[in-house]
Amino acid sequence: MKIITFLSTLNRRWVYTLVWIAVIIPLLFPMSFKINTTPEVQSLYDAVENVPDSSTVLLTFDLWPNALAETEPMARTALHHLFRKNCNVVTLTTIPLGGPSVAERVTREVAALYDKKYGVDYVNLGYKPNYVSVLRGLATSIESIYPTDNSGTMLSQLPLMHTVKTYDQIAFIFIVADNGIVDNWVSIVNAQFGKKMCAAVTSVMAPKLYAYMGSGQLTGILGGMKGAAEYEQLVHKPGLATIGISIQSLVHFLIIALIGLGNLGFFLERRAKQKEARG
Amino acid sequence: MSGWELFQLWVMAFGTIAIFSFLYGDNPFYKFAEHLFAGLTAGYYFGLYYDTVVVQQLWIPIVENSKWSLILPGIFGVSMFARLIPKYSWMARIGLAFVMGSTAGIFLMSELHGNVLGQMGGAMAIQNSGGAPNYLLTAIAAVGLICTLIYFYFSKEHTGVLGATANVGIWFIMISFGAHFGYTVMGRISLLIG
Repeated sequence: MKIITFLSTLNRRWVYTLVWIAVIIPLLFPMSFKINTTPEVQSLYDAVENVPDSSTVLLTFDLWPNALAETEPMARTALHHLFRKNCNVVTLTTIPLGGPSVAERVTREVAALYDKKYGVDYVNLGYKPNYVSVLRGLATSIESIYPTDNSGTMLSQLPLMHTVKTYDQIAFIFIVADNGIVDNWVSIVNAQFGKKMCAAVTSVMAPKLYAYMGSGQLTGILGGMKGAAEYEQLVHKPGLATIGISIQSLVHFLIIALIGLGNLGFFLERRAKQKEARG
Repeated sequence: MSGWELFQLWVMAFGTIAIFSFLYGDNPFYKFAEHLFAGLTAGYYFGLYYDTVVVQQLWIPIVENSKWSLILPGIFGVSMFARLIPKYSWMARIGLAFVMGSTAGIFLMSELHGNVLGQMGGAMAIQNSGGAPNYLLTAIAAVGLICTLIYFYFSKEHTGVLGATANVGIWFIMISFGAHFGYTVMGRISLLIG
């Protein structure tokens, strides 16, 4: 009875404290867990590898700042992968808050490591409202949707954009997103313009996208921090996700234990009630 | 790190801790952070939309590039504000009707091509694993799809064969919910770590 009382009256703040401890411990005493590559991530990696060197890739930063823990490592690794292949990168976002500035910061930081020049090797188009018009409009003319880049420079002044006018000049689309915009990229750009694409998304988004993977509409998926860590391993650029995944694993053990305890409490309580009913 | 960057870092740390303090209970620090965020967001959105839409895609093309055809969409846009004046609120319907009509047209095609036809094609194809056809996986996917669809068929009482099939569908739905739950837990923990 004591266990039942303890479990049913346990203050939720104790659970928060336990989770907090489980996060802090691996930060103080780093642990390493083996990271296996899943077929979805391998497929994404292969798809990027198969993009012809020096071609242009559209990298989207369709993300809010609150999901950066999952999405930034993905975007960062994608940039390493693309710049290493000498691909030109055009970035844009359909998210007003965070997307443009994160794209600017992350792209410039990674580009500097590969001596890439803004306007020549990469361009940040920034944000435009009404994603439906943006996704469709880019097929007709990028310049009509984005007369300027994120900093207000006319596209005509950026050498890379002299050759990139529509989707036709884009070899591959790498979507980094934390929301339902992937559906629109698939249904508008993949389905109607036949562009190959992959998606790097938050964990919450990932399960839904397996249907697109199965139907071949997406060539690969990175799901949450786990997917990001796998991709970092494949690109040989261990970063934030590789560090985070050991913390993640420990917290998962704790959550499994808590779910087990919760179920134990539920079954014990039910048995006690049945006994009481029988007299 | 410069003094300004250090100040930014402290503001971010304060904001984060103030938001997290809601886990303990509602408090003035949480309220302050919440209102600050809402106010900043509203201001930022106003500036962003004004610059990216009104200035870049309406004012400059008309004034500098003489694209006079944009005056009509501009009038439609302004007409939306007619809602604020009850006597002329009917004018807002013109712009709204245009937006709804064009959006419906775009989504009709994109949903048909992207989701309906694309997913039907995917469901009928032989599933692959490691590049080789996997007939077992294809059979499981087909059974799962049919049983789940039957669970959502409500025109006949779920008894007999239909009921048994719907029950199998429930198992597939529960496994799917489990996967969603697992991924959601992983996502929330990632946010805490980040």
